[in-house]
Amino acid sequence: MPDFECRLKKYRQLNDLTQEQLAAQVGVRRETIMRLEKAQYNPSLKLAVDISRAVGAPIEEIFIFPQK
Amino acid sequence: MKNSKKCTAVLGIICALLAAAASYYTIVFNDSRFIVPMELSGYVFRVQDLPMVVSGIFLGLYVLYLFLLLVRAIAAKKRQEESTRSARAVNPKLGFLGIIGFAGFFGFWTYSLDKTIFPFMFFMFFGFFGFFYEGKMSQAFMDERYQENKLKAHMVADKIALGIIFLALLVLGQGKLMGNLEYTLIALTIAISLAVALGMFLYGYLLYHYDHDEPLDESGE
Repeated sequence: MPDFECRLKKYRQLNDLTQEQLAAQVGVRRETIMRLEKAQYNPSLKLAVDISRAVGAPIEEIFIFPQK
Repeated sequence: MKNSKKCTAVLGIICALLAAAASYYTIVFNDSRFIVPMELSGYVFRVQDLPMVVSGIFLGLYVLYLFLLLVRAIAAKKRQEESTRSARAVNPKLGFLGIIGFAGFFGFWTYSLDKTIFPFMFFMFFGFFGFFYEGKMSQAFMDERYQENKLKAHMVADKIALGIIFLALLVLGQGKLMGNLEYTLIALTIAISLAVALGMFLYGYLLYHYDHDEPLDESGE
């Protein structure tokens, strides 16, 4: 299980997007967005960049990995 | 497409009619050669054999044609899957084909009858039970998470199946456990068939399990 915090839900709602709409925009299934929001899935760099562009927020503010 | 199906069916009917006519001819005029078991090592050609030879060649060519059609259809489907990025279309009801796996038990009967062991390979069909799970994800959009899960499911299933085959080879391959080489071969056939079946089933099951392992918030908001 990936250990990071994901603030995707917050940014998605700020942009008035449903999971379905965001999924269609970034080319994944809605289930993948659901997993991402629960921080249960570690996305590829490309998907992270696509999501960041779709919600208009920097990657490091959406996916927060604790410093080790 | 429709024309090609019609053409295939017509060719099949022609081949079947040819085979029937040739069989009739050989039964009536050629001592049933090629129909009753015959020793082919000392075979000498006779003109009367011609109908059976010709029908055999046509039947062989037709089977080859069907095989090529199958390969082409599989390749086209694969290309379509890649272009649409969707999982293969599998009807969950195909899972019932797994019942054919029970035909493997016929092997015990055929072995006692005439030492035939190939029916044990039917145990492989147990793997088709995995279609119950794969069918639930039929034509799902294959995003990166799906691809990741697919690779993971393949890897785990293959690892377990290969592990079982390796163990079976290690234990049975010594040939001393059963005390009889024939029994060893049967046990090996059964073990490999079941391992292949397990691999096939596990792939479908794990793929579904990885995708649906935890209940999620379905609100979508």
